[in-house]
Amino acid sequence: MPDIIIETKEVSKLFGGLTAVNMVNLEIPKYSIYSIIGPNGAGKTTLFNCISGFYTPETGEILYFGELIQGSATDFIASIGISRTYQNIRLFSNLTAVENIMVGQHTNLETNWMDAILHTPRFSRESKKSRSEAIRLLGFVGLTNFGDFLACNLPYGLQRRLEIGRALANKPQLLLLDEPTAGMNPQETQEMIKLIRQLRDELNISIILIEHDMRVVMDISDKISVLDYGKKIAEGTPKEIQANPRVIEAYLGPGGAALAKKYQDRRRKDA
Amino acid sequence: MNSHPIRESFQKGIVFAAIMVFMMLTGFHMIAATMVSKIFGVYVLRGSIPEIRFMTYIHVLFGIWAGWSASSKTGKISTRIFRGLVAGFTAGAFIALFDLILNFLIQSGTDIRQYLSALSFESMDYFLMNLGQMGILVHLGIYTATGLAGSALAVFLRSESVQHWWQNLKSNISTFITRTTENLPPFLQKYGKYILYLILLAALLILPTRWGSYLNFVIGLVGLYTIAGIGLNIIVGLSGQLVLGFAAFFAMGAFSVGLLNAPEPHNLMWGFWPAIVVAVLMAIAAAVVLGLPTMRLRGDYLAIVTLGFGEITRILLKSDTLINLTGGPRGILDIHGPTLFGKPFTDVYYVYLIFAGVALSIFLYNRLQDSRTGRAWLAIKEDPIAAQATGVNLQKYKLLALCIGAAFAGLVGGISAARNQFTGPNDHTLMASINVLSLVIVGGMNSIPGIILGAFALKGLPEILREVQNYRQLAFGALLIVMMLMRPEGLWPSSRPLIEKGDRSQIEENKNEEGGKDA
Repeated sequence: MPDIIIETKEVSKLFGGLTAVNMVNLEIPKYSIYSIIGPNGAGKTTLFNCISGFYTPETGEILYFGELIQGSATDFIASIGISRTYQNIRLFSNLTAVENIMVGQHTNLETNWMDAILHTPRFSRESKKSRSEAIRLLGFVGLTNFGDFLACNLPYGLQRRLEIGRALANKPQLLLLDEPTAGMNPQETQEMIKLIRQLRDELNISIILIEHDMRVVMDISDKISVLDYGKKIAEGTPKEIQANPRVIEAYLGPGGAALAKKYQDRRRKDA
Repeated sequence: MNSHPIRESFQKGIVFAAIMVFMMLTGFHMIAATMVSKIFGVYVLRGSIPEIRFMTYIHVLFGIWAGWSASSKTGKISTRIFRGLVAGFTAGAFIALFDLILNFLIQSGTDIRQYLSALSFESMDYFLMNLGQMGILVHLGIYTATGLAGSALAVFLRSESVQHWWQNLKSNISTFITRTTENLPPFLQKYGKYILYLILLAALLILPTRWGSYLNFVIGLVGLYTIAGIGLNIIVGLSGQLVLGFAAFFAMGAFSVGLLNAPEPHNLMWGFWPAIVVAVLMAIAAAVVLGLPTMRLRGDYLAIVTLGFGEITRILLKSDTLINLTGGPRGILDIHGPTLFGKPFTDVYYVYLIFAGVALSIFLYNRLQDSRTGRAWLAIKEDPIAAQATGVNLQKYKLLALCIGAAFAGLVGGISAARNQFTGPNDHTLMASINVLSLVIVGGMNSIPGIILGAFALKGLPEILREVQNYRQLAFGALLIVMMLMRPEGLWPSSRPLIEKGDRSQIEENKNEEGGKDA
């Protein structure tokens, strides 16, 4: 299947007696924005960690362009074009914004320490290119003029954007965004939505998104999967998910479906 | 006026009195007075008592300091001066109480030197400025007056007009410098930097021949520790691995040079230059052996394991197991140094060699640090997991940092073994590792001037201040505490390069050049 970028087949991850991810099957089409939602502790981030190689799943297969990648080292997975951001920002705080992005370029560059010592022509060519590329990327995520700030001194919203910039620096095909709008005000959220759309439309990157803000999820997702207690309980377009009784139950508890229906009816009546 | 400022200055006074009493009890006041007398150009023989006036100076300086530190930065002028007065008076009163005890001891003729060895009658008399009971009142008076003077001085120097004058002076000087550099002839503007380098080089070549061998020894030591500091900084400062067994790599270098170049135990006599290459390679080999299994460890665990590695190396060298191979606890004597046209190296040549080593290590450090490799190291230091997720191979880069750092250590070990014509297991103790680590931290991580400064402060100063050697640990402790309070990032902290700004100015420069061409 050439138009599937990444596929998980019956992936499970156990922590002692706890099944954090339970037999999850996902197929992420190329150039799509695919959201994974679910209550806290549903195993969304664990699934991300399995894909990016932090964890090795106990069972199942993860196929990237049809090739098995589960169990590979994290840096190998980064080098084949899978980048990610984190729920709690993990920037290199004492490096400047530009340097953060330049670290992100690591897998795209090829000079080694010998080149650095001897300043080979390859080195000067590459460092010039890497610099201009980093500054261009800085502009793309909206951090022009913040390049020489230490990452830890940037305001929160810009730190989130810088993290995306660092993830973009190794020219990924697949980007895993873990709650990119957490803690943002409505305006920042709108800008973030715009940026995520830009990533897909201008850079042709496929995106998997973990998000709690339903307005964001319903706004930008092409397809949504819902996890609850590690299991996938629903998959579909935003419309289908909104109407799915199992999803409503997972979020609102048993009887939640009836409650939601009552609430919707009342709203319709008011209108 | 509320009681709070008074209480604060009261506490300040007690602290200063306690420091003074502590200095007196350890006999440090006489050493301090000796040092002050040297500043005034009066030479005091070792063990003899300096002139009384120098003790007075110390009391006065101390009182002024107390008043200065008690006076706050903001607030009413009267309050600020009053604070100094209170602090000075408190300090004076407590020192006077202490003086009472001293007087009692002197008059009763009780010798308590078996408990406090520094507390001789001469020392007590000297502390009281030979005034006896009058000393008590004089101390109280001195401290009250100088406390007042100190706070008044603080108020004056922090006043707006003085600050304004100071800012003016600074900006005047900087504009003067920029103006003179702008008005230099174009030849100097373009090549001035290189001319300065040449002058520096000439100074470094000429000075060692004038200094004399003692200073050459001290400078060489500082240089060796600078190289070692830069090497360790690659491991600790760039890649963030806390390695405490650095001395093991010294030992590798030193013993390589020693075994290949001494009549005993093997009488190989390869000559210094091949031996130093072997020394560096051996240190790298040791780093690989240590690094392959341990580079998975993090932080404290790595520190413990490497500390163990350092101690194992030292104990192995000291034990009888390797006595036929390495000479055992006796070490290796009579190591032959390098020769120049058949003549053995003099101390001056060793200083040249060490300077060359320092220059090489600075060059390598600068090139590595501004590269893909250097940034990968820094990323590992900041957040290993995120670094790996951006594609950095942790194992490889950590091992690379350890190997390069170890190579520097091997070089230092080899040179110092040849220079001392001796090496033994006791040259490579845990203390040596900790010394290098602390000079990096005291100087400022990832900052070359900081490391040089740190090497001077921790290795050069103690050599020069031989008189106060008994107080070295005391002084180190005090220095570390003061430094952590005042400059937690080191004496000369590093700063990150401004890449975006540099790029922009470069673009503008290019534009200007193009504009010039068009015209």
